[in-house]
Amino acid sequence: MPIEEQPDLLVLDSRLAEVSRAQSWAEALADTLGLRENTRYAIRLCLEEALANVVIHGYQNESGHAIVIRRWISSDTLFFAIEDKAPPFTPVGDPPSTSEPISIESLRPGGNGIRLLRQFAGSLVYEGLAEGNRLTIGFSIQPS
Amino acid sequence: MTLTTESMDGDITRVLLDGRLDIEGAAAIDLRMNVLSGSAKFLLIDLRNVSFLGSMGLRSIVVPAQAVRRRGGKVALFAPVPLVEEVIKASNIDQVIPVFHELETAVATLR
Repeated sequence: MPIEEQPDLLVLDSRLAEVSRAQSWAEALADTLGLRENTRYAIRLCLEEALANVVIHGYQNESGHAIVIRRWISSDTLFFAIEDKAPPFTPVGDPPSTSEPISIESLRPGGNGIRLLRQFAGSLVYEGLAEGNRLTIGFSIQPS
Repeated sequence: MTLTTESMDGDITRVLLDGRLDIEGAAAIDLRMNVLSGSAKFLLIDLRNVSFLGSMGLRSIVVPAQAVRRRGGKVALFAPVPLVEEVIKASNIDQVIPVFHELETAVATLR
């Protein structure tokens, strides 16, 4: 497995239908690297949650905006950096309460994306850009 | 993602999901899940063949579950694979929609 790899890049349109393209792109790399099932699951999940967040909350489901994903490997960690030009939004702030929900009525449908992103990502770094956001998600790919 | 249903004794509707419950999978089943939630009294959602679950997929479970519960019914989740169950637990969904791995126990709880 290479220790360093040149960044690879994928550009998506800001539509939920595009998310699967990023997941397929990541899975092709996962196949090449022979990643374990739990790592592959975490990558698929985190890309889905992060990209859905950009499309739904960042761009309010408005298509026509570019979302750029770069991926690279450094020191046995696979990174994905997601850049957009939506209004600032960080999923890395205060953790959601772990005591909620207490009843089925209090469940917020679709409101678990950030929680899952934090739970399944190996590392999560948010940077506010001059114009937009960058979220870098890391996954350990150390052999078991 | 495919969805099939099966009627069981005790007015239980078993919903068998198969595939990835991701954004596309959720979109594929939402309409049928909503229809089921408007008629089923007891809903057993069988997840044994669901290989992936994300927050959009959770929404496809939670919204119908809330509808069934509002009508006085019950909902249970059955046999999620470990990574899917990890998502359910990380979301605290298991606190309000019980998860079972034994069919008999699930059925007994719903009745």
